[in-house]
Amino acid sequence: MLRSNSYGGSRSIFSLSVDWIMILLYVGLVLIGWMSICSASYDETAIEPYSFSHFYVKQVLWIGLSLVVALVVMLLDDKYYHMLAYPAYIGGLLVLIGTLLFGKEVNGAKAWIELGFFSLQPVELVKIATALALARLMSSYSFSITRFGDLIRVATIILLPLLIIILQNDTGSGIVLCSFIFVLYREGLNKWLCIPFILIAALFIGSLILTPMTMLVLLILLCTIFEVLMNGEWQSRVIYLATLALTSIVIYLVANYLIGWSLSAYKALMGVTLLSLLVVVVYAYRAHLRNIFIVVAIFVGSMIFLPTTSFLFNEVLQPHQKDRIYSFLGIKDDPQGIDFNVNQSKIAIGSGGLTGKGFLEGTQVKYNFVPENHTDFIFCTVGEEWGFLGCLVVLAMYCTLILRLMRIGERQEEPFGRIYCYCVASILLFHLMVNVGMTIGLMPVMGIPLPFMSYGGSSLMAFTLLLFIAIRFDASRRRFGVE
Amino acid sequence: MSYQRDSLIRLRTLQVIVLLVVGVILGRLFYIQLIDDRYKDMADNNALRHVVQYPPRGEVRDRNGEFIVQSREAYDLMVIAREIPKEGFDTMRMCRVLGMEKEELIKQLTRAKTRSRVPMMITNQLSKEVKLRFDECNFRGFYTVYRTIRSYPRRIGGNLMGYVGEINADQLRKRPEYRAGDYIGISGLESAYEEVLRGKKGVKVNEIDAHGVIKGSFRDGMYDSLPIPGRSLVCTIDAELQELAEELMEGKVGSVVAIEPSTGEILLMVSSPTYDPNDLVGKNLRLNYNKLLKNPHRPLYNRAVSSHYPPGSTFKLVQGLIGLQEGVLKPSYRYPCNGGYTYAKGRKMKCHPHPSPLDLRSAVANSCNAYFCYVFRDIIENKKYENVKEGLDVWADYVRSFGFGRTLDSDFANETRGYVPTSEFYNKVYHNSWKAQTIISLSIGQGELGCTPLQMANLAAIIANRGYYYIPHIVRSVEGVDSLEQRFYEKQYTKVDAEHFEPIVEGMWQGVNVAGTSTRAAVAGLDICGKTGTAQNPHGKDHSTFLSFAPKDDPKIAISVYVENGGFGATIALPIASLLIEKYLTDTITRPYMIDQVKQMKIYYPNAKK
Repeated sequence: MLRSNSYGGSRSIFSLSVDWIMILLYVGLVLIGWMSICSASYDETAIEPYSFSHFYVKQVLWIGLSLVVALVVMLLDDKYYHMLAYPAYIGGLLVLIGTLLFGKEVNGAKAWIELGFFSLQPVELVKIATALALARLMSSYSFSITRFGDLIRVATIILLPLLIIILQNDTGSGIVLCSFIFVLYREGLNKWLCIPFILIAALFIGSLILTPMTMLVLLILLCTIFEVLMNGEWQSRVIYLATLALTSIVIYLVANYLIGWSLSAYKALMGVTLLSLLVVVVYAYRAHLRNIFIVVAIFVGSMIFLPTTSFLFNEVLQPHQKDRIYSFLGIKDDPQGIDFNVNQSKIAIGSGGLTGKGFLEGTQVKYNFVPENHTDFIFCTVGEEWGFLGCLVVLAMYCTLILRLMRIGERQEEPFGRIYCYCVASILLFHLMVNVGMTIGLMPVMGIPLPFMSYGGSSLMAFTLLLFIAIRFDASRRRFGVE
Repeated sequence: MSYQRDSLIRLRTLQVIVLLVVGVILGRLFYIQLIDDRYKDMADNNALRHVVQYPPRGEVRDRNGEFIVQSREAYDLMVIAREIPKEGFDTMRMCRVLGMEKEELIKQLTRAKTRSRVPMMITNQLSKEVKLRFDECNFRGFYTVYRTIRSYPRRIGGNLMGYVGEINADQLRKRPEYRAGDYIGISGLESAYEEVLRGKKGVKVNEIDAHGVIKGSFRDGMYDSLPIPGRSLVCTIDAELQELAEELMEGKVGSVVAIEPSTGEILLMVSSPTYDPNDLVGKNLRLNYNKLLKNPHRPLYNRAVSSHYPPGSTFKLVQGLIGLQEGVLKPSYRYPCNGGYTYAKGRKMKCHPHPSPLDLRSAVANSCNAYFCYVFRDIIENKKYENVKEGLDVWADYVRSFGFGRTLDSDFANETRGYVPTSEFYNKVYHNSWKAQTIISLSIGQGELGCTPLQMANLAAIIANRGYYYIPHIVRSVEGVDSLEQRFYEKQYTKVDAEHFEPIVEGMWQGVNVAGTSTRAAVAGLDICGKTGTAQNPHGKDHSTFLSFAPKDDPKIAISVYVENGGFGATIALPIASLLIEKYLTDTITRPYMIDQVKQMKIYYPNAKK
């Protein structure tokens, strides 16, 4: 970017030092993806196996177009990306809003634009624009990650598109942007700022899996243990807990059997605990134990957060999203219902064994037991036809790609390039984790594609663009030493 | 902590996170792919069977509502080879139930094993009884599929109705909406109305367990679809009349076509020799087909729309009409005939004995050759035109307006064009040096003219209508459709005005009812009009033809009979036409002796090929 000014013009493509390992990994993944699409959409009774109506034939076209995209990126000077970062970002936001208003609805998400012969999912391109904008903001000279105002700006850049995407009902694709926390951490974000995220996530999931009573008991126990770890004096804390338990039980029994109120155990415990907090606060004030205030604040915050969660969950999320989250958490175990996809997907992968059934030999995938087997569940084909060893190879390739992207980022001279590389790495990691995770039941079904492998023009071309911009940055870095 | 050191720690942390994510995924994969056996069993149990639900093919009724083509249920036996138990099954028992040879069964099983996951057919068209007995035996991996096959209760209209057979590889390439094993109409009506008759296939997705036993509908029938039955047709054919015509044509080679002039509906269409359409159904199709194919009289060839014949004397009608329209002929004109017409030194077109000279009406009634040679020469040597060539092209335009030399655009498959020669053709043949005398045989419907029997029947309809026709068609109505295509309701005019038809019609009437070549055709009260034709041909005895319509003033039927090598038009074509007209108009036969006479005439030439 700026380097071209400082070093007198950019170099021609022939003098670039292209990272061929990255390109090999990219080509390998695209090819494996194409073979899997062949298997998934293969129909041995088809009359015309080369007709354009087959996914594997269409994908050839997408691959061709992606290679063109890659070549164009390699031929363009990399200084434009710095210049275009903000305009692209704003353009991306406008397109997202346009899609929200005029887009086409697919599977309940209004996230597609019809462009004549194919539909484009603008969120794929917005990821790139957001990555560029984030890189530009964080690489500016005056930026400091420790400053509150700058953090707000970072949050704005990430959350604005996220908000619109959530409004489009395409939450799965939007949450990808949250993976930029990975980048922020690399750039020096205070690790304590990460803890609230983790806490909120834990509470959210906990509130869905566990009954309120269990949650309450767990929270009380955890807060007390936390407090003991900080202040010691465990004896008095045990007495405190025992008092809470006994008082609650007595009140519960008295209310239900002597007075005749129908008071639930949860309310009894809750009431007793809240009352006891007054005592705790007074005690903390007298004993000058400031950190008890923090624990109490966390507890009260959580108690407020929990009902909010269930409100959010019931009112904001779409039924299919709720179902998917429930399914992920194992609450609704209904093999013909929502869990069906994941069950079938696990069966397909599980039946692959060590070496798999061989190319075009998979029965589960080919006979459409696995829904969406050429797009989101493409990994099932790898699992079924190439077995554990095939999965190992594919995952190793992704792992190498991501680690190498981080390494490339580290060797950039300019923070802009480094931050961008990390953004790419985090997007890829997130997609890999969620996509493969959902096919084996580790993650909720979110409907996001597996980079480079899933069928689809806009996803493949967007990931190609995303990756090759990073490769292009790296290709024109200044070399030290002998070359 | 220095910035570099902090960065390094953060880098390492992130690298560990990446490795952890991939590690957790791999661990989980290791567990479900290598440790946990459950999934393999579940995959084996997970099997779907797509059973195609074939729709019944549309049925066909005649104009009076009588069934000509019906659909009858039959069952195909399918197998999915990989679902046959490994220990095998009782082949002898299966052969007994199916009434099948063991060798054949084994042959089919071997074939099925080449594509073991795909349903393959073992045998087809089992009766319902066999199907029920087979189902009781419960052979694993085998199942039956409902199909319909054709039956023809009246055994008529072999070429007309056409037949239905399994689609072949060629057609499959052209029509991707079909699958191997589907039935398709191959000729005649079945082919022309394939889209209407076939209906739409449905599919039933069943879940089956590892033993191939159906466990129920997959996902509550979410992916099932019902077959949509083919639509039925009402045909314009009169089945009884068609049957009589086929009977009369037995033992002869040729064709009969009758049209209702006021609508263009084809009342009957016989191509003789014909065959029993039931022969081309079911398991015997291939065998019988080959037999029919080897028959030297080519029963599978639909002469009614595909054969090109010289029209012979029936064409004089057209000649006279063109002459009248061109103004070179008046009904009162008389031309001499002294046993023929001398068109060059020592060359004479002969004529049969009759009074001479005659006017137009009598010339039609008596079929005078000489008369129409004069007419034809006057038409093409007309001074209006620069030369004979131009005159001939004007003449050819007229002839084409009568539906000759082009397809009539009917709804019937395989309609051919016939041939009307033009100056260009003769220029090529005679190297530009020819005159009217060279092509004089055209005047009596000989020479290079070629017409299909359908075109000739259409000519009869044109004369009956005095100048126009409706495009002949075979289907009266289609179930669920309000009307036929627009073209069947539009009058197609010839280039000859209605007023010129009267003398010709009267000539035809005279020929039957007063004196002339067609008197045998007369039936009291029916006012039949007719014209005989005796067409010379290089292959043997003359073709016998008769063109007719009745009644004269309110025509209900126009008919053309063409019998190859039948001799004089009056000998054999005439009685056939007369009997059919009588049958159609009065529904009785007053001359049974004539039927016997016609039936006794067998005209099969050993090498008859047209």
